[in-house]
Amino acid sequence: MSGERALDQQSFDPRWLAGPWRGFRAAVGNMLGTRHGAAGCAILLLLVVVALFAPLIAPYDPLQQAQASLSPPSWQNLFGTDNTGRDIFSLIVYGTRTSLAIGLGAAFGALIVGGMVGMLAGYFRGAIETLLMRLAELFQTLPVIVVVLFTVALFGSSFWLLLTAVILAIWPVEARLVYGQYIRLRGMDFVAAAKIADLSTAHIMLREILPNAIQPVVVQVALDASVAILIEAGLGFLGLSDPNMVSWGQLLYVAQDYMTLAWWTSFFPGAAICLAVVGLNLFADGLNEIIDPRMRGRAGGLQS
Amino acid sequence: MLRFVLFRLLHAIPLLIAVIFVILLMLQLIPGDPVQAMVGDFPVSPEFRAAVTKQYHLDDPFPIRVYSYFVNLLHGDFGYSYQFQRPVLDLIAESAPRTILLTLVGFLIAIPFGVLIGTVSGTTRNRRIDHFWTSSTLIAYAIPTFWLGQLLVLVLAVHFGWFPTQGMGPLVSRAHGFSWILERAHYIALPALAFAVHEGTRFARIMRASVADTLGQGYIITARAKGLTRSAIIRGHVLRNSSPPLVTVAGYAFGAALGGAVLLETVFTWPGLGLLLVQAVRMRDNMTVVGIVIFAAIAVIVINLLVDLLYAALDPRIRSR
Repeated sequence: MSGERALDQQSFDPRWLAGPWRGFRAAVGNMLGTRHGAAGCAILLLLVVVALFAPLIAPYDPLQQAQASLSPPSWQNLFGTDNTGRDIFSLIVYGTRTSLAIGLGAAFGALIVGGMVGMLAGYFRGAIETLLMRLAELFQTLPVIVVVLFTVALFGSSFWLLLTAVILAIWPVEARLVYGQYIRLRGMDFVAAAKIADLSTAHIMLREILPNAIQPVVVQVALDASVAILIEAGLGFLGLSDPNMVSWGQLLYVAQDYMTLAWWTSFFPGAAICLAVVGLNLFADGLNEIIDPRMRGRAGGLQS
Repeated sequence: MLRFVLFRLLHAIPLLIAVIFVILLMLQLIPGDPVQAMVGDFPVSPEFRAAVTKQYHLDDPFPIRVYSYFVNLLHGDFGYSYQFQRPVLDLIAESAPRTILLTLVGFLIAIPFGVLIGTVSGTTRNRRIDHFWTSSTLIAYAIPTFWLGQLLVLVLAVHFGWFPTQGMGPLVSRAHGFSWILERAHYIALPALAFAVHEGTRFARIMRASVADTLGQGYIITARAKGLTRSAIIRGHVLRNSSPPLVTVAGYAFGAALGGAVLLETVFTWPGLGLLLVQAVRMRDNMTVVGIVIFAAIAVIVINLLVDLLYAALDPRIRSR
């Protein structure tokens, strides 16, 4: 316990207390100080900018089939064109919106569902704990892609259904993490002090414990987003994601039939998926580093 | 130990029943005609409809339907696929060994590389070699296996022509004995490689963390104080004490292999359980879909149970919880 507390003090940056904005700026500053965190932030910023300004960045209407089909990358078509003459660069730019929407939507959905379950189970213990954590285990049994595929098989695929299915499949990880944090923190002195001060249970759970539990949870949100993006891409690749959306995975599904003639139909959409997932994983790594200073910079290992 | 086995069994069996119950519950929620939902987009005659309704108790309330499904399951009846015109269990029994084979070969490649890279990385933490491997595994882990599969096919199979692009073997084969094995190995190489890159990088990341943990232990300092060489410490202390997490993760990953197989088998048209599931989903053959999903749930729960028991047998500290 004492080691844990020492760690908490070490990772705690007093500037975080100086109001939300300055605290946020300090956290970002710390992130940018880490190698992985800085790279992750840069990639995520790029993706967000591309998604927000897609109409300005994309040179063509992504659905317009006006170009020559399967033409290789050139200055007119940066990433080439697909079999129906659509510009692949423009498709990827618009696909960023889909991927980020699924990624962030599912991650925040899982955060809310998993966070609530974990909080209740960890704080109240007893029957609620058993029930909720067994429920989490139940939803964690099958691999994520199987759960999502099963849902899509039964109910068809639309954006919202897909989002729900992904949340359904990934919330237990978040729940277990928050649960572990609440189990750890509920026995600490500051919680006892808050109870003596007669603060309400909701106040203790949300205002006292939550700020102390939040850091590893944020890391998990980033990782969840990368899982969700991969799942949506996988479903698109199977030809089972929402047909009304432009998505990177769907481009790979179409590319299956043409990639031997035109490598660019497969290469660029796949690279886009990699970039997003790498960005989120780097971001998570950077966050981990500022939370746990033992992981920071100094060379370690086994000296010879 | 016996108490631990019983405790874990008491945990696993209700979980299995609950998972199957939720799956059947979801089947009930499908809008539209239940007979059609079961057989897929398939024209049905009135006699056929009556037979299916009777067989699966579709006119009875939900609890009775669930009960009859469980009774069928216990008799080894996973339902009948009207698309494939065969019992679902037959389909599963035919394709599951192929998925297991692919997974095993993938693991055989992934585990040695994962252990090697993880150990190198963990014993040189935050130095240049570690930075190289940490960044490489981070990027490799982000590559979707199905896209990696596409690229491997594109370069090694189509461009260089070194490997076949898909399938599990030639349609007609005269090979026998050793040359037959070689021929099969030729077909499994690319899918197993794509699978191994993904799993191997995961193993490497876990091994790195575990090695770093081990290096902080007191007995490493003792070993160094005794004047053991670097390689003697790694072989004698670090590897052995860092492997348990890897065993657990590899065990769980084996149970969940169907997840990866879904996409990988589709890329390479490897006729395993994953491809069967995707085909069934595309044909809206829900009997088969539900059968495979329930089979997968059983596989995951049984394998996780075995992994936990194995772990407890190896590490007595776990049993005393």
